[in-house]
Amino acid sequence: MNEIKPTCKEVMLHICDNLGEELNSAKCISIKAHMENCNNCKHYFNSVETTIEFYKKYNVELPEEAHNRLLDILGLKE
Amino acid sequence: MEEEKLIELAQGGDRKALGELVKLYEQTVYNFSFKICRNKEKAENTMQETFLSMVKSLSQFSGQSKLSTWLYRVVSNHCLMLARSQGKHEYSSFEDENASIDEKEIADWKVTPDKVTENVELKNMLDAAIQKLPAEYRVVFLLRDVEGFSTEETAKMVELSIAATKSRLHRARSFLRNELNRVLAYE
Repeated sequence: MNEIKPTCKEVMLHICDNLGEELNSAKCISIKAHMENCNNCKHYFNSVETTIEFYKKYNVELPEEAHNRLLDILGLKE
Repeated sequence: MEEEKLIELAQGGDRKALGELVKLYEQTVYNFSFKICRNKEKAENTMQETFLSMVKSLSQFSGQSKLSTWLYRVVSNHCLMLARSQGKHEYSSFEDENASIDEKEIADWKVTPDKVTENVELKNMLDAAIQKLPAEYRVVFLLRDVEGFSTEETAKMVELSIAATKSRLHRARSFLRNELNRVLAYE
């Protein structure tokens, strides 16, 4: 059986392509094996994950005035 | 009361049930609108347009998809239309995505995602980075990665093929990561 040995660039492209998907595919398994011994790719993976986490955690609260204006526009004010 | 029942009552003209539905989703709709627009005034406007659209079309809502999914779709389409009408297309940064990776030296970011709730500078940086993304890419990234819809659901919502959705997702992730890296790699 031919063992897949991806380069760092292929690993980084794969990370942006398949983040968290098809984790059991042959390609994904070879990517994980590569990352175990490659700090650069590990850092790249972490930075992509952190980027997503930043945007997940950045939330805004609906201001009360905006809530009131919405009910007013919809004719739903009690 | 369950959402299904509220929809049924609202479809029958029950204003109280309609109000309950609005209250159930206004925070989600406003937050998602803000995430696309990065502007509180535009987010409020999008939220209002979305609920006006909901009130207008609720009688035709068949319940085949969740109401929340339908609302996400309305917000996405509204924001995309807005961006198109403003003529904001900045595709030049995406011409050669492979060239944007310098694999020789990848820094280990020291800042953790938890900092985002308290760090205004970081928030400004995140706003600036995502605003450089064309709206078509921003919406796909937000639906798939931030709101957690599947690639298939995202593709359906923005009326793209799965391949085109994946391509936009790849470019958006890579672009945002590289934008943040300009600052975070040296902290």
